[in-house]
Amino acid sequence: MADDKDVLRDVWFGRIPTCFILNQDEVTEREAEPYYLLLPRVSYLTLVTDKVRKHFHKVMRTEDAEEMWFEYEGTPLKWHYPIGVLFDLHASNTVLPWSITVHFKNFPDRDLLHCPSNSVIEAHFMSSIKEADVLKHKSQVVNDMQKKDHKQLWMGLQNDKFDQFWAMNRKLMEYPTEEGGFRCIPFRIYQVTFLFSSCV
Amino acid sequence: MAAVTGNTRTVMTDSTGESQRGGRVLAPGRGGRSAETRWKRHIVGQLKHRDLSQHAKFQDLIRFYTQLLDRTTLTKGILSGSVRRPSSDSSISSLLHRNNQLKKTTGELAYQVVQLQQQIKIKECVLGEQHARRAEERRRLAGAFDARQELHERVEQVQEENGGLKTDYDALLERQRGAETKLREEKVRGGRLLEDMIHLKQQAAAHMNSRNERKSRAREANLQKELQTAARSKVTMDSCSSAPTSRSSSPNTADRTESSERRHRLFRSASVTSPRILSSIRELFQKRRGHSVSSLQEDLQRPVGICVSARVPERALHTLEAHEQGINAVRFSSSSDLLATGGTDRVIKLWEIRAGALTHRATLGGSTEGITCIEFDPTGLRILAASYDKSALLWRLDDSVPKLTLTGHSRKVTAARFSGCLHQVVTGSADRTIRLWDLHRAACVRVVEVASYCSDLICSENCIISGHFDSKIRVWDTRTVSCVQEIPAQGKVTSLDISSDHRQLLSCCRDDCLQLVDLRRRSNERMCFRADGFKCGSDSTKAVISPDGCFLAAGSADGAVYIWNVSTGNLESRLPDKHSSSISAVSWSLSGEYVVSVDKSRRAILWSDI
Repeated sequence: MADDKDVLRDVWFGRIPTCFILNQDEVTEREAEPYYLLLPRVSYLTLVTDKVRKHFHKVMRTEDAEEMWFEYEGTPLKWHYPIGVLFDLHASNTVLPWSITVHFKNFPDRDLLHCPSNSVIEAHFMSSIKEADVLKHKSQVVNDMQKKDHKQLWMGLQNDKFDQFWAMNRKLMEYPTEEGGFRCIPFRIYQVTFLFSSCV
Repeated sequence: MAAVTGNTRTVMTDSTGESQRGGRVLAPGRGGRSAETRWKRHIVGQLKHRDLSQHAKFQDLIRFYTQLLDRTTLTKGILSGSVRRPSSDSSISSLLHRNNQLKKTTGELAYQVVQLQQQIKIKECVLGEQHARRAEERRRLAGAFDARQELHERVEQVQEENGGLKTDYDALLERQRGAETKLREEKVRGGRLLEDMIHLKQQAAAHMNSRNERKSRAREANLQKELQTAARSKVTMDSCSSAPTSRSSSPNTADRTESSERRHRLFRSASVTSPRILSSIRELFQKRRGHSVSSLQEDLQRPVGICVSARVPERALHTLEAHEQGINAVRFSSSSDLLATGGTDRVIKLWEIRAGALTHRATLGGSTEGITCIEFDPTGLRILAASYDKSALLWRLDDSVPKLTLTGHSRKVTAARFSGCLHQVVTGSADRTIRLWDLHRAACVRVVEVASYCSDLICSENCIISGHFDSKIRVWDTRTVSCVQEIPAQGKVTSLDISSDHRQLLSCCRDDCLQLVDLRRRSNERMCFRADGFKCGSDSTKAVISPDGCFLAAGSADGAVYIWNVSTGNLESRLPDKHSSSISAVSWSLSGEYVVSVDKSRRAILWSDI
C-alpha cells in the first residue's frame, strides 16, 4: 500500500500552471495584468479561482463585473468538470502555461451551468460520490456515513487537505476481503464536442 | 480525445498512462507480485515526470510572479495619489495665481494669529481671574469642610446624647410600666383586701348575732326557771307579805339584825359602811322593791367610796375557773358586790359575791378579741373595756350587747378609763396614741401622740397619767392636752393605780418593783416595794392600792399574791399556792373586804380575811 499511497499523493498534488488573461472586450479602468496560478488537477475551476477574480476586480468597476466564466481558445470551460479533465480534454498539447481567458460578461447560458456559490459545487461533488458508491457498495457506505463525515470529505477537497480527505475516502475505497473487490468499478467518460456519462 | 476518471480522481493524461491503466485493471486478477510492483512503479514514474514538466518547472516562477504582481499593485497604489496632482495642473499662471492666493491667505492667517493672540491674552486674564476665584472657592470649600466636620461632630455628640436620653427614657418607661403594673396589682390587692375585710365584718356581725340570740335564749330560759321557782315559792311569799303586822315589825328586826351585825362586825372590823351590811340591808329591802322609793338605790350606790380601813386578806374564800381562756383583767364595781373579769376568751363576766362565793351573773360579749382592761363607771351602771381588737367597748350592765364600740386605734387598746366627767372616756393604745372620746357623740374628740407604747393610764382630776414602755410615766393636762410632767420609772411600766384620795400613784414595772409616788409633791421622791420571789409576770401585770391607801397588792409570776404595807414599806403578807400560773391582775374591793386575783390559766380567786 505504500506504493499506492505514493500514487495517491502524486495524483492529489498534480498541478497545472495556468495563465489567466482578461478578455480584451472587458471594460477596464487600466491595463489588466495577467495572473498565473498552479491549479490542482483534482479540484474544480470555480473553487480555486477566487484570487483570479479578486485580481481582475481591482482594475474593473464593480458594476461591470458579472459572473466570472472561463474560456480556452473559444471553448467555454465547464466548471463542473475536474480541472485535470478540462486540461486533458482541451489543451493537452498546448504550450505550458495553459492560457485561459477570463470573462465577466456575456455568460454562455447554453454551454455553462451557473455557479453562484460553493454549496452548488459541494452538491455536485457529493452526488458524484454517491453515484460511484452505488456502483461499488450499493451506496451502503455513503448512507452509513454521518453528515460530518460528508462535510469532512468536502472540506478536505475544498482546502486541499490530502490527509483529511483520505481519512474519509478510505472507507469508500475499501471492500470486504471475501468479496475480493468492488461489485462494479465506476467510470465516467467525458467527450469534447458533446458529453454523456455512462456506467460499466 | 477522451479521458477516463474514477472517483479517486485519478486522471490519466496521456496515451501511455491510458494503456498502463488497462494493465492495472487486469493485474490483481492473475498477475504476480513483481509485475504488480513493476507497473505500479511505472505509474509513479509517469506521475513524477508529469509533475516535473507541468508543476515543478512553473512553481517558483508563478510564485515570484505573484509576489511581483502584489508588489507592483502596492507601489501603484502609493504612487497614484502623489503623481496625479502635479500632472493635473501644469500652467505657471495658475501657479502664480495660486501663489497670490496663498499669500493672501497667509496675510489673513497672520491677522487671525494676532487676533487669536489677543484673545489668548484675554483668556489668560480670565483664566487668572478664574484661578483666583478657584483658590478662593477652595478656601471657602475648606472652610465649609471644617464647618461640616464640626457639624458632624456635633451631630455625633447630639446623637450620643440622644442615645443616652433614649436609654434613660426607656429605663423610665420600663419603670413606669413596672410601677403601673404594681399599681394595678396593688389595686387588685386593695380590692381583695376590701372584700376580705367586708367578709370578716360580715362574719363578725353574724357571730355577734348568733351570740346575742343564744344569750337571749339563755336569758329566757333563766327567766322561765326563775318563774318556775317563783311559782313554787309563791305560798311562802304570800304568807310573808300577807301578814300586815309583820310589816311594821320587820324594820325593827332589820334594825336589830343590823345592830347585831354591826356589833358583830365591829368586833372584827372598823369598816362602818361595810357593803356587807349595806347588802344585807338591801336584801332586806329587796323583797319590797316594787313599793320602795326609787332614790333608795342611788342612796345606796353613792355613799360608797370611803373606806376607813382595808383588811389584809388571809385566805382564799372561793376558787373557780372563771373563763375558758386566760384572764387578763379584773375589777370590782364601786358597790363592791359586783365583780367583772375579762379574758382572752373575748367576754366579760359579771360575778356577784354572795356568801363568800362568786356567782355568775351575766356575760358581756361583743368584743372580737381578748379583753385587756375593765372599768366600771362611778355609778356602777356601765362597764368600759379595752380590747385587743383595737377598740374600746361600753356596756350597760343590764344589756349584754355593747352600747358603744369606740374604734380608731390602729393597734390593741391597752387601757380605757372614764375621765372626770362621765361622758368622756380616755383610751391608751399600743399604737402610741391616747385618745379622748365623747360618749354622747360616740366619737374620738382628741388624739394625743405619745412617744411610746402606752401600757396603762389613769384619770385624775384634770389630768391623765399614762405609763409607757420607755420607762416613763407621763402626766397630761386634760384641758391643754400637753405633757406637764414626766416621772421616771425603773422599767417598762405595766400598770398604774391611783389611791382614792388621788394623792398616791402606784406603778408596776417590769423590774419587779412597785413604785409609789406622791402626786402632790412635784418631786421625784418615791417609795419602792420589792419582795423576794415577787416577779412581774407580764407586760400588763396589774397592781392595786387598797381602798384606804394603806396596802398594795400585786400578783407575781410564781402564782402568789403579795401585799405590802405602805407605811412601813415592808411585805405584809404573801398568799401562795392557790394560783398555778402567773397572776395577771388583782383587784381590791372598795369596801376593803375582798381581794380578787386572776391568772393566765383561767383561775379567779376571791380572798378575804375571814
